[in-house]
Amino acid sequence: MDNMLTIFKKEMYRVLTDRRLILTIFIMPGLAIFVMYSLIGTLVQNQATAVEEHTIILYEENMPDAIRLYLEQLSDESNEQRIHIEFRDQRDYDEETLKAYVREGDIDIVLLFEDDFHEKILNYTDEEPPTLTVFYNYGRQQSSFSYNNIMPVIEYYRNTYLIERLEDPAYYQVFSVQYVEGIVDERVLSGQMMAMMLPMLIVIFLFAGAMSIGPDSIAGEKERGTIATLLVTPIKRREIAFGKVLSLGMLSFISALSSFVGIALSLPRLMQMDDSGVSYAIYTMTDYVVIFSILIATVLVIVGLISVISAFAKTIKEAQMFIMPFYFITLIIGIVTSFGAEPSQSMWVHFMPIYGAVNLLSGVFTFQWLMINYVIVLVSSVVYTMMFIYALTLMFNDEKIMFQK
Amino acid sequence: MNALKVKNIRKTFRLSKKQRKIEQTSIKKKIAVDDVSFEAKPGEIFGLLGPNGAGKTTALRCIATLIKPDEGDIIVGDYSALKESTEVRKRIAFLTNELKLEDHFTPNYLFQYFSRLHGIDEATIKARRQRLFQRFGIDKFQEVKVADLSTGMKQKISIAIALVHDPDFIVFDEPTNGLDVMTAKTVTDYLVELRNEGKTIILSTHILHVVEKLCDRVGIIIEGKMKAYGILEDVIQTSSDGTLETLFFDLVKEEAGEVHG
Ligand SMILES: Nc1ncnc2c1ncn2[C@@H]1O[C@H](COP(=O)(O)OP(=O)(O)OP(=O)(O)O)[C@@H](O)[C@H]1O
Ligand SMILES: [Mg+2]
Repeated sequence: MDNMLTIFKKEMYRVLTDRRLILTIFIMPGLAIFVMYSLIGTLVQNQATAVEEHTIILYEENMPDAIRLYLEQLSDESNEQRIHIEFRDQRDYDEETLKAYVREGDIDIVLLFEDDFHEKILNYTDEEPPTLTVFYNYGRQQSSFSYNNIMPVIEYYRNTYLIERLEDPAYYQVFSVQYVEGIVDERVLSGQMMAMMLPMLIVIFLFAGAMSIGPDSIAGEKERGTIATLLVTPIKRREIAFGKVLSLGMLSFISALSSFVGIALSLPRLMQMDDSGVSYAIYTMTDYVVIFSILIATVLVIVGLISVISAFAKTIKEAQMFIMPFYFITLIIGIVTSFGAEPSQSMWVHFMPIYGAVNLLSGVFTFQWLMINYVIVLVSSVVYTMMFIYALTLMFNDEKIMFQK
Repeated sequence: MNALKVKNIRKTFRLSKKQRKIEQTSIKKKIAVDDVSFEAKPGEIFGLLGPNGAGKTTALRCIATLIKPDEGDIIVGDYSALKESTEVRKRIAFLTNELKLEDHFTPNYLFQYFSRLHGIDEATIKARRQRLFQRFGIDKFQEVKVADLSTGMKQKISIAIALVHDPDFIVFDEPTNGLDVMTAKTVTDYLVELRNEGKTIILSTHILHVVEKLCDRVGIIIEGKMKAYGILEDVIQTSSDGTLETLFFDLVKEEAGEVHG
């Protein structure tokens, strides 16, 4: 235990007293994220301003007069936060045509109320609720903007009329919402996508941080021959393995925290323009604890992997070369999770090293995760880390690996 | 205190493709140390003399418990280097000429680090550090990073670090290699001092006069085989003209003849 601590401290000292390393692993990640996100934030903000001045093209059928009245007030010239709305109400479109219009942007939002919607709301009983069908295209900013501004009005209407008769209107699902998924315009980065990109960035920075110190800490000992001095001391090889992995883990974790700070600092600018999707402020304490613990677990797995690879290599250069393919795999994992489908809820996915954690992180950021998968990620990460440390111990004991020519 | 005994050790390496190319051989196995035996006694310096690639480093690594011989045994004092490696490690110093200290650290830090790994208490660390650093003139540089020090100073620091636990057995692989005359003398003088304290010292070298000046006992190793072994004077006696140099060249030639003829 003491020996492990001695090694741990020495590795920490090595990095924490080196200005160049501090810059590359503690300052750069946060700074890079901050600059990148702020830049994107500003760009999208400009776009968003343009969107706000856009006139919403709204198509409706059977809209209750009350709603229409609210909407007209909303678009009235005297209103300071005025939103331009243009109503369309031809009756000769079928749903498919409407969807096509929404997809292509000729119409921003479609609201199809059931016949006699208002009466049905007024006489609402436990039976089938009246339906409102909404089409919008979340891939288009104008359409998302319309949705975000018009839905609250409908919500308000619903509550006003129901509250007179029911104690808890939120309990009742009075109408269903259906949307058309359009082709997402790649230039438009929504807040949702930002959230989806976070796990990728974090894991990539984690890996990069670990990659810039791991080879020196382990392959470096072999290259310099200091491994002989270390191995001729009476300490247990297991203590060396733990000391190395845990110190690297700690350092990489600080590096990851740096990216976190970068994200936190650039968030305000990101929030301003984010009128469509996720707000970071609504993450609860639990979410933060979950994110934090997944990060620690992931750091350990990555560092364990890098340590084992470094122990195989004869020189620092060789170690960096061996690690490259794994870095690319991690990059691909990150990209797939960020730009692919929704985070998977399958338990098997969460058993996979790194991929499971990235997937879960992405789920947490978008509010779609299961406790069981969280537990799986934590437990399996600890198991993987232990396996790596065990492998590393065996390697420190293996003269063919430690003193190869 | 008991002697250090090397008993019929043999060490074979599997040669990598790259190594086979360098050594221009198609044989996949290399016997680096071939049935080598010798004994080093307390209060004596044993010199393992041999040309490049003779197997010196390999033999010394076996003694230092870093690698295990395929056959034979090594007894360090009262313990077997093969079966009781931890006990041996507590009592042995090993210095390799391939060692490059980590640039980023100061002599002070490294001394303390390795002392702690040997489980030495802080008071003893301080006392020993003062003594060794003074002896080698490191004290003025103890807070300077290794990167900024000369080759000679680095070697002296390496020696001090190898001796943090005041070991009874000292195994140094070419300790004066690449050093200037002054530094080399500091090192050899210190080895004599350690011998007079009753330590058992083994050093390897390919430099004849180091052996002539320093060693009480010598073994000449060529191509992994011990070609001559005994008290220095006795070994020199066997030479055709009474010099170690002639004996060494004759043995190298003889071995080369066996290999090629
Ligand atoms: N780990 C290893 N794997 C493969 N071959 C090795 C290994 N270590 C040593 N050898 C080979 O064994 C032989 C003896 O090597 P060794 O390093 O013991 O010689 P040496 O006497 O120390 O030489 P030098 O004076 O060059 O230091 C050489 O041919 C070397 O290539
Ligand atoms: Mg050698």
